Amino acid sequence: MIQLKKVYKYYNAGSKKTYVISDISLDIAEGEFVSIMGPSGSGKSTLLHILGLLEEPNDGEYLFLGDNVSRLTEKKRTELHRNQIGFVFQAYHLIDELTVCENIETPLLYQGLSLSNRKSRVAELLDKFNIVGRKDLFPAQLSGGQQQLVGIARAIAGNPKVIFADEPTGNLHSDQATEIMELFKKLNEQEKVTIVQVTHSEHNATYGKRIIRLKDGLIVR
Amino acid sequence: MIKNYFKTAWRNLLKYRFYSIVNITGLFAGITFTMLIGAYVWGELQVNKKLQNANNQYILTSEWKDPDMGYDIAALGPLAKRLKEDYPGLVKNYYRFDGITSAVSKGDKYFRENIQLGDSSLLNMYGFKLIFGDAKTALKNPYSVVLSKDKALKYFGKTDIVGETITIESFMGGKKDFLVTGVLNDIAENSVTQLNIANINSFFVPVSAFTYFGRNDLDNWRNNQVISYVELQDGVTAKNLEQPIKQLIVQNTDNVVHKNLTVHPIPLPDYYLQKNNDLVKRMLYTLSFIALFILLMAIVNFINMAISSSSARVREIGVRKVMGGERKQIIWQFLIESTVLVFIATLLSLLGYPLLRPLFAELIGKPISALYSFPFYFLLIPVAIIIIVGLLAGLYPAFILSSIKSADAVKGKLKSVKESVLLRKSLVGFQFSIAIVVMIAAYIISQQLDYFFNGQLGYNKEFVLSAQVPRDWTKAGVQKMEAVRNEFAALPQISSATLSYEIPNGNNGGNPPVYKMGQDSAKATPMQLLITDQNYLTTYQIPLKAGEFFSDTGNDSGKIVVNEKAIEVLGFKNTAEAIGQQIRVPGDPTIFTIKGITNNFHFNSMQKAIAPALFFNVQFAPNYRYLSFKIKPGNIAANIEGIQKKWSLLLPGSSFEYTFMDDTLRNLYASEIQLKKAAFTATILSLIIVLLGVLGLISLSIHKRVKEISIRKVLGASVPNITLLFIKEFMLVVIIAAAIACPLAYYLMSGWLNNYAYRITLTAQPFLWPVSLLALVTLLLIAMQTLKVALANPINNLKSE
Repeated sequence: MIQLKKVYKYYNAGSKKTYVISDISLDIAEGEFVSIMGPSGSGKSTLLHILGLLEEPNDGEYLFLGDNVSRLTEKKRTELHRNQIGFVFQAYHLIDELTVCENIETPLLYQGLSLSNRKSRVAELLDKFNIVGRKDLFPAQLSGGQQQLVGIARAIAGNPKVIFADEPTGNLHSDQATEIMELFKKLNEQEKVTIVQVTHSEHNATYGKRIIRLKDGLIVR
Repeated sequence: MIKNYFKTAWRNLLKYRFYSIVNITGLFAGITFTMLIGAYVWGELQVNKKLQNANNQYILTSEWKDPDMGYDIAALGPLAKRLKEDYPGLVKNYYRFDGITSAVSKGDKYFRENIQLGDSSLLNMYGFKLIFGDAKTALKNPYSVVLSKDKALKYFGKTDIVGETITIESFMGGKKDFLVTGVLNDIAENSVTQLNIANINSFFVPVSAFTYFGRNDLDNWRNNQVISYVELQDGVTAKNLEQPIKQLIVQNTDNVVHKNLTVHPIPLPDYYLQKNNDLVKRMLYTLSFIALFILLMAIVNFINMAISSSSARVREIGVRKVMGGERKQIIWQFLIESTVLVFIATLLSLLGYPLLRPLFAELIGKPISALYSFPFYFLLIPVAIIIIVGLLAGLYPAFILSSIKSADAVKGKLKSVKESVLLRKSLVGFQFSIAIVVMIAAYIISQQLDYFFNGQLGYNKEFVLSAQVPRDWTKAGVQKMEAVRNEFAALPQISSATLSYEIPNGNNGGNPPVYKMGQDSAKATPMQLLITDQNYLTTYQIPLKAGEFFSDTGNDSGKIVVNEKAIEVLGFKNTAEAIGQQIRVPGDPTIFTIKGITNNFHFNSMQKAIAPALFFNVQFAPNYRYLSFKIKPGNIAANIEGIQKKWSLLLPGSSFEYTFMDDTLRNLYASEIQLKKAAFTATILSLIIVLLGVLGLISLSIHKRVKEISIRKVLGASVPNITLLFIKEFMLVVIIAAAIACPLAYYLMSGWLNNYAYRITLTAQPFLWPVSLLALVTLLLIAMQTLKVALANPINNLKSE
């Protein structure tokens, strides 16, 4: 499903190029749960952003569902974000002005779903994540763990093929972190959602079926 | 989706309440002002448009090579009539009138009223509706009168008064009952019944009554003071009239007239806007521009604040983008936010309009239409305002904010959008410039007005009041009135009283051409005729330059007094040489001897250069209108009450309607005073909007730099150091704005001052004061806001990071 071939990302620092990641080639099959690990500055976030189409590689090829997506128009990228990709962020990034319910609804709005379809999908997710009682609260009224729960609900609302999670438990204490990781595992196993997560924690990394380790922008074999 | 946009917009407005209020206040001020100005402009554009067949209605104006030969608003008496009679294919109808003022009475009510002595075509030609009476016959018989509804109520207390009589005085002391044959419904403002301030007429008498009033025959070609209108046939233009008019003038007048006169038919709908050198039109443009700029300033506030506050929105935009929000959708979202904000401001403006309307009407000196009196399709205007202003305000921020790179935004790398600091400062500079220009303009206009009232008038207006007296324009009438004058002069509260035809308000009786004895009569120069008694100079305190003024011994036959300017125009070397010299008026066998010379004084508005003036003694030119009194300082109300008592004793059957010279001048400078008021309103509004903008931007700037401030404080910065940090940011803008605004204001205002023959010299003062004031107020505003942060414990702000 995901194929990187000799991908490079660098910044021009003066006359010299500083490589953030270099010569990355990897395959991720549909239904996999992959953890990307590595010390600070190893390029794992950049890799995730490239995978998530938030950044473009300077060199190399990226095939997503068989299509070359190394260079994309804004329109095409937006369409992939809308229908195929979901994101979960370390800082949750819920929209403060919207309620739990409305936050989950937002990607569905962009997908152009009808009101009744949106309502039933949101209701289903609220129920599944056990947050029906909080549906009218605003993000500021929730704990970090609850916010991330909403973040995940929002990420899968549009039935994406893959979820990219950037240190999803980085801001949570361990009980909440476990709950979130269990949820990911369940989603991966029961609903066959492909998950790629970046994490610092060895323990959390083990929820994934495969661990990719980065160091100084290179994959450690 | 749309619903979601509105919901988000509304929540954002509530969340950033402070900025919403600042923006809405600014937009409210701008939009309300624009609406009021718009209503005023619309009202002015409607003048004459409600006349029947308005597009075919013309007024005949005269252009004299020498402007003192005749009035531009009047035409040769028979011209309009002959045009219709000789060219029925071109001219459908005509109306002419002679405007007079006389005493009107009914029972114990007597007032001076403006009366229009006119052709019987008045009612049918313009479609003026009578609520009582028959329009076809109302103005057929000589001693009939048609009056307006409010005058009917004033004299009779009711409107159903057809068949009753009302008394109108002649100028020879006669009184006659006129039969009321019609009562007019309210008429929309037009240039037939309200040609100018001096001719707002509500009494209409058939022209055949001219002999009773001792007026000139309208059908005499020598009469060049007849206001004339024609209604053209469909498809006929003013151009078609050119030849016929020329022909009629050449056929019927002598060389002097037809060589000097060009008659221009002006369409009535244009006439109102064009008259007095486009006075109204220029005022409308000026006010519209002011409104536009004020509105732009409010829009600039929105743009600046939207961009500066974007840091709070960056993450939201990023998240929306990664969830598949297209740029287009983000743009829509921001446009809807700005539109909702403008919608609220517009709604408030619509609510505020009825409340502010009377205030504004008073300020502008004209009624402003109520909202419900506009045509139905005007409903679209607020909608248009919402959409246009909403787009104007929202477009730039929407494009800037939607261009955020989602990756940087969600990574938290991007703290705010990459805005063009130069652009923001330019926009603020634009606002400051406008505010400074408006302030300078207001300052200079009031300086010039001050000069009108307190400058070198050449006479003393203080404590002088004047009132029109009943007319009896005979020698006996003058003698009687002189006796009345003497009675008044003997009152303890009056220091001097004078009888005259003119008061220094720019309106005089005639402009006879004058030439030096022995010179070519063709070189005669028209001079302003002033008919006065011997007390005129004393009452108005006009200094005598040489010779003597009139005496009341009756030996002033053939003696005249002139002003200095007349001496200069006539070509005398000095005043001494002129005394005793003789002058003549072409066509008049009388030889006049110059008895005295007065100083120059401003009889007209200071817009015009002082004209040569010619004084006649009222004893030998028995025309008079005014008694002017110089009253002694002290209890003015009591003094006037004393005069009032004496008046009803000496002049029973006439009302004492007095005007202080100050108010007379105020009428003379009405449009300048209107401009001054508009300039002051604009000053206040632009200040409010600029300061709101500064308030918003500073508060955002502080919010953004709170960490920086705390670090600086920890490093030892003092409170003034920190305040200065923000002041620097704005003071540079103020200085640049001043550098742009001052030359611009100088250019605009010296252009305006050039309209006046007598004007102030521009000094630095009107430029320095506004700039300093604006700088100071901005400074205080910044200091007040920064003080709070500067005084706060830095640890509180650093910990939160």
